Amino acid sequence: MHIQTAFSNKDSAEASVRELAEGLSAFDPKLVLFFASTKYIPANICQLMQNAFPGAEVFGCSTAGEIVSGQMLTNAIVAMAFSAEAIKDLSLQVVQDLHDEQHLTNAFKVFETHFKTPMADIDPTEHVGIILIDGLSGAEEGFIESIGDLTNVTFIGGSAGDDLKFAATHVYANGKSYQNAAILAMLKPGVDFTFIKTQSFRDLGIPLEVTKADEFSREVMEFNGQPAAASYAAAIGTTVDKAPEHFIQNPIGLVIDGEPYVRSPQQIKDSSILFYCSVMEGMELSLLESTDMLDDTKQSIDQAKEELGGISGIVNFNCILRTLDLTQKGQTQDYGKLFSAVPTIGFSTYGEQFLGHINQTATMLVFK
Amino acid sequence: MAGKIRQMIDLIIHQRAKNNPMLERVIKTKLMLKGVNPKKFDMESPDDPAILLKLERMMQMFK
Repeated sequence: MHIQTAFSNKDSAEASVRELAEGLSAFDPKLVLFFASTKYIPANICQLMQNAFPGAEVFGCSTAGEIVSGQMLTNAIVAMAFSAEAIKDLSLQVVQDLHDEQHLTNAFKVFETHFKTPMADIDPTEHVGIILIDGLSGAEEGFIESIGDLTNVTFIGGSAGDDLKFAATHVYANGKSYQNAAILAMLKPGVDFTFIKTQSFRDLGIPLEVTKADEFSREVMEFNGQPAAASYAAAIGTTVDKAPEHFIQNPIGLVIDGEPYVRSPQQIKDSSILFYCSVMEGMELSLLESTDMLDDTKQSIDQAKEELGGISGIVNFNCILRTLDLTQKGQTQDYGKLFSAVPTIGFSTYGEQFLGHINQTATMLVFK
Repeated sequence: MAGKIRQMIDLIIHQRAKNNPMLERVIKTKLMLKGVNPKKFDMESPDDPAILLKLERMMQMFK
């Protein structure tokens, strides 16, 4: 086994990290990835994790719920350890100011130096990037877009959470905790890998073209030349007052080759709608309707398994809105069981990244 | 002036994908997530400065 997982939900950070380290003690990891509840003091948990694995690169973030093989958890810490066979090479960078692009380009210069290759020539079939980013920064869209401009390597990841307190989220690397920051890990796995992007929605074919929006405040003022709230309500067939009741089951999406990139409405503000990610003027969006999350996720895992010929590890960045939906339906145990057979860790995110910043989606990095 | 957006889209796809169909799909998706739908532009499309700026930036950053 080149990839192993462990979890703990003990009350103290010290006891939890000790339990994790014991669970992974038969292993000499090159990389340890972890996701931790904010019940653990951020500055403490990252230091303890680095100290527990002194020979490894260690990074992670705070969460709004955790996932480990077979279970969805709360108030816990989960970790995945990778051997040198699983990860042949890696470079870890902390981008400390999400609003200053120079910090990002500097990180990519370090990647170029580390891999001794210009970014434009780094092979996206042999490399993959993981991004963990402050989930309350509101900066994810521009940041992931710039990453996509800089490289053909796919970066996948999630926005850190804070157990639904919406006060402060944290990313961790090298024993330190950061805010308004992102951790970027450029990996060269020693095993094949693929991606899952799964969202349980179908396109209803009802167009909502964004005719007036402020992408920086994630506000849409008009769809189809009409006030956004009224236009959305009309598309659903309900009133503006009742429209928020439909937000979870009927988000909207940019549908590309039949694949929705979900934009989730957050609230109605006057006649506008605020979203959980930015929506640009001119975008031709479509009203979506929810489908069965358990079936869709299982199918996606089965497809990845068939594509790779087996799975040795999954890192699951699962939207908090999906987790809340599963909780409401009493399906969290069933969702956890989808990952019983595979070493898996993940967390409930405040946003997901895959080519862009998206909502109500699970993005997963899958290793053979 | 017209057609410059179409030319730049084609150039970006050629520069970055190097005839790899998988990468072509990825780059078209990235363009759409920026609000630039490649299917909407042809050689008759007016040269919208805001879109040209996005495309110039995309070309400049991939070196």
